[in-house]
Amino acid sequence: MSSETYFAALFAEHGEVAFEELVQACGLSAEEIVELVEHGVFAPISASPARLPTSTWRFSATTIAIGRRASRLKADFDLNVSGLALALTYLERIEALEEELNRLRCGLLR
Amino acid sequence: MKYKDYYATLGVERSASEEDIKKAYRKLARKYHPDVSKEKDAEEKFKEVGEAYEVLKDVEKRAAYDQMGSYQPGQDFRPPPDWGDRFGGEAGSQGFQDLGDIDLFDLLAGLNRGRTRGARGDAEFRMPGQDFEARVQVRLDDVINGVEIEIPIATTEMGQDGAVRRVTRPVKVRIPKGATDGQRLRVPGKGGQGMGGGRTGDLYLDIRLEPHELYKVDGHDLYLEVPAAPWEAALGANVEIPTPTGKVSLKIPPGSRAGQKLRVRGRGLPRPHGGESGDLYAVLQLVTPSVLSEAEKELYGKLAQASSFNPRGHFG
Repeated sequence: MSSETYFAALFAEHGEVAFEELVQACGLSAEEIVELVEHGVFAPISASPARLPTSTWRFSATTIAIGRRASRLKADFDLNVSGLALALTYLERIEALEEELNRLRCGLLR
Repeated sequence: MKYKDYYATLGVERSASEEDIKKAYRKLARKYHPDVSKEKDAEEKFKEVGEAYEVLKDVEKRAAYDQMGSYQPGQDFRPPPDWGDRFGGEAGSQGFQDLGDIDLFDLLAGLNRGRTRGARGDAEFRMPGQDFEARVQVRLDDVINGVEIEIPIATTEMGQDGAVRRVTRPVKVRIPKGATDGQRLRVPGKGGQGMGGGRTGDLYLDIRLEPHELYKVDGHDLYLEVPAAPWEAALGANVEIPTPTGKVSLKIPPGSRAGQKLRVRGRGLPRPHGGESGDLYAVLQLVTPSVLSEAEKELYGKLAQASSFNPRGHFG
């Protein structure tokens, strides 16, 4: 058993990743990521990404978590990109509702 | 080697068609997929279902599995003597002398692996290591100070005899101060080993905070219900309240209402990279004594007579 301790790094809220890094970290193909951007699931930080080559696209580091979820859903449910986009949108909505519920429980909206 | 009943895991007959197996898998995946499920132990169940499907959807693996015979789940067993010759692969050549600690799934997975490697040649075979995911539950105190935790990582390793075995390796990870509920962390290079010079995978952690008996958490802010007597809210008071970093004195201003939030700056959870800590909000709760003394009753009576306050004025 190794006694070495490894350090976990937070995905910095303001951190950024390049297109290539995102492809590598989530296990989706470059084409799938482009399609998910077209569906509005991912939004590159650059102002008008459609007119720029993908190699210049940059994303918020938190996009990695969404991308990895996308890759799991795609593999486990055999989804195409449109189905994937729909599932991700609903999951995001559910999470937003859960957060709101949590805030209500905190007494925030009382 | 321990037997696993993949048919029972998917809830299908041994004679089930490919289509039936697919249908059963889809149904269970929807129920237990960790990304969509709220079921208890969803992650564990989904792993079992995924493993069963991985074997049964593949015609060759399923045939090899069927030929092993049928046993009770968890029962120690040995495939029939001619099994190795017929299904070959890496394992076949080992002659089953030492299968005691080999995982059934790994043995079946080895069938394809052996063939793929043979066909493509080791030199060209380059594959990145698998990324691992783990959900970890930590306590509020842990994210305030940072904490070292040990995560059991299930992985496969090739032994000196060339056989692939499933092993659990504990990995010690330092969760930095400033992590909070729902955040993801990455431990670079602690995933699976790459093959043929492929990169090593990463370990991803999904942080969940254990519910705390006093504080509710929203991002890096904390919420604490603070009960107050009606006269404390009306006249104002200084009360002592707990915070994760020690008690503080809270000033309840005169004329406070139930549900009002009073901010105690910087007493929430620390933010990463030395950023300013979140805040603690004291949420006022008005409580009245359930049993009144004679003196209290008399004073309430006097208050009722003296006050012109109508709490139901808006009813018209």
